[in-house]
Amino acid sequence: MRHIPEEELHAYLDQALSRSQCVEIESHLAACPSCRALRDGIAALRDRTTALLARLAPPRRVPMSFEALRHQGDLRASIRRRRIRAAAWAASLVVAVGTGWGAAALSRHEPPKPVAQAPVALPSQQTVAVVETTPTPSSVHLPDSTPPVRTHRAARAERPVERAEPAQPANSDVADLQAKLALLDVTAPVELAPIEPGADRAAESGGMWRTMSWDGARNETGDELPHIEGLPVIRVQVQATDHGRRPLMVVAQQLTSGQVIETIEGPANDVSQFLSRRGEGATALAPGEVGLPSAADQSMAMQVGGDRMLAVTGALPPDSLRAMIRRINAEMRGK
Amino acid sequence: MSDELEQLYQSTYTAVVRFLYRKVWDAERAEDLAQEVFVRALAHRPEKPRAWVFAVAANLARDEARAAVRRKRHLTLLKGDPIAMPTVELAADDAVEHDEQMAAVQEALDTLTARDREILLLWDAGLSYPEIAAQTGLAVGAVGTTLARARRRLVEAHDRRHTRTGTDAAHS
Repeated sequence: MRHIPEEELHAYLDQALSRSQCVEIESHLAACPSCRALRDGIAALRDRTTALLARLAPPRRVPMSFEALRHQGDLRASIRRRRIRAAAWAASLVVAVGTGWGAAALSRHEPPKPVAQAPVALPSQQTVAVVETTPTPSSVHLPDSTPPVRTHRAARAERPVERAEPAQPANSDVADLQAKLALLDVTAPVELAPIEPGADRAAESGGMWRTMSWDGARNETGDELPHIEGLPVIRVQVQATDHGRRPLMVVAQQLTSGQVIETIEGPANDVSQFLSRRGEGATALAPGEVGLPSAADQSMAMQVGGDRMLAVTGALPPDSLRAMIRRINAEMRGK
Repeated sequence: MSDELEQLYQSTYTAVVRFLYRKVWDAERAEDLAQEVFVRALAHRPEKPRAWVFAVAANLARDEARAAVRRKRHLTLLKGDPIAMPTVELAADDAVEHDEQMAAVQEALDTLTARDREILLLWDAGLSYPEIAAQTGLAVGAVGTTLARARRRLVEAHDRRHTRTGTDAAHS
């Protein structure tokens, strides 16, 4: 009589055998005491293994809700879309400079004229006005060989926070530019959403936003503003949510490198909506700004305590963002 | 489709975290990676989601291990530096005992070959023989043989260590 091999008894106990194999084994076991003893030994070994492995378990925590997970997925998709759009932007600028308009940039000798003083400016001059704000003019000198990254950086550097622009003409400037760039763009649709000069940057992302002083915001949120200790705070924005819930908060801080990072904390849905809206590049185009979404910005979000979410956005590697978010979370929980 | 993934998420998330934890030995990191796995599953919509989820988890853990090796070089340098540790009251004897028990199993698990360990962990995570076979490239018939060996070795290694530390304790 053939005894049952050990591995077959494992498979039998693991319920990995077909019905007919099981029947065969069971009829043998009924007649064979030594195989029964072996089976009991293996059953004990199995239990032992399971018990030992059970000790290797992380502390049990409530998993993120599936909804929140889905939000994270959406968020990531929108960041991808944003990158593609940013690349399209860079490409379209290259096309702008490359297809003839660049000739104007190359042959231009006179100092740049503000667009406002040249209401009948040719398209070429207007585009030049965009590109020439580049800190290093050399980057536009050889448009054909300018790598897209370069152009992209040029346009980014152009974010005119400190650039004084006449408010009135600037608006038409943007509208003009929009029309022209739309004509130009042969690669992909470009989203330009200029807003009224002086309008609140955040007005577009749902209203009810308030920019607050640090102390005011601290008072209002019970001293629980998401932030990184020791970094200068540039801006604090608070968006009211349903009654009784802590609001959505956005704290912008500056790193020593001059980069701005934002820390966002609020109800999970609101935070992911906020981030994905921003990811689509639809927010906050100040007049004169070309509206290039900052492709380098990365977001990292984390579910904290129930349905709250904490996120950090900045042009930093994911590992740095992850480290930051953990630190902020630890600090906030520590309070 | 999405419902299927949601069900899978509810039923296997904990198993995925545990599976990853036994590879990266960092609870928070294991959770991050598990979330990553499911976010990717949402984008990919795999045909056999359960097997897919564990295959991706295994890949992520492997990448993680490589990164950890790189970091380790740096850490060993740091280790020599004295660190001001806060004095912790060792009132929680249970916690200490739990940690020791855990370390014993961890050490026993380390004595297994990579393949034996992987198959044991996949089994413990709830995968079937055919699923394990598909993921590891092993024949279905060989899964039982491998599990038989892995289980025996794990328990033996653990008990050996236990007797050793037991006698150590008796001496001191």
